[in-house]
Amino acid sequence: MASPGLPTPPPGLGDARVGAVFGALADPTRRHLIEALAHEPGATATGLAAELPISRQAVAKHLQLLGRAGLVRSRRSGREARFELEAGALTEAAAWIGAVGAEWDDRLGRLQRLL
Amino acid sequence: MTKLPHTVSRSVLLDAPAERVWEAVTDESALAEWLAPEVELEPHEGGEIVCRYEDGEERRGQVELVEEAERLAFQWRRQGAEPSRVELVLDSVAERTILTVTETAGPSACVAPRLGALRALLRGRLVLA
Repeated sequence: MASPGLPTPPPGLGDARVGAVFGALADPTRRHLIEALAHEPGATATGLAAELPISRQAVAKHLQLLGRAGLVRSRRSGREARFELEAGALTEAAAWIGAVGAEWDDRLGRLQRLL
Repeated sequence: MTKLPHTVSRSVLLDAPAERVWEAVTDESALAEWLAPEVELEPHEGGEIVCRYEDGEERRGQVELVEEAERLAFQWRRQGAEPSRVELVLDSVAERTILTVTETAGPSACVAPRLGALRALLRGRLVLA
């Protein structure tokens, strides 16, 4: 009788997968910021901090780290910088993850049937 | 912009002891049953790996790490694409085996070999000259 495989994270950019894939997103606060920016492009650090139990300064540090990882970019607009996701990086990574994940699913399926 | 590391991991519970799984993972004719239609593998550090597919595509690379019945790691790349690192880890669970495969592309692919050497050192297999 074939043994069931262990549960693996679902494909796509679900919360768990993003954290696993990108070191910069291992932090749940940073994942929240990515989600927030997906819904609200152009948000400021002040605006994002309003939704979180941490200071604006802490949010700015997280955004800086995300910027260095190439996931977020900023532009000067008025008194505060506005932040946006770097969609290209996430899309490319998602495509690679999807394709390579599917390849391994196929291979491991064949290996399971072989043994 | 920094290039992001991409990594994919899968775990599967195999109904076979580690020794049989190891054979399936290192023997060329067994590998041709699941990894790719045609496989050439020299299962030692520095050995070559070649995978060929029906459409003529080839992936080539080098074996990085071989720990009998425990771990196999190699780098490979499609023609014209970036290299990625594949690591297969075998964990025994009674008479069965959990096989975990992790494929990593991008900057972190270069870090992993050093972790392999560190792990070998901690197990007393690597002697510093």
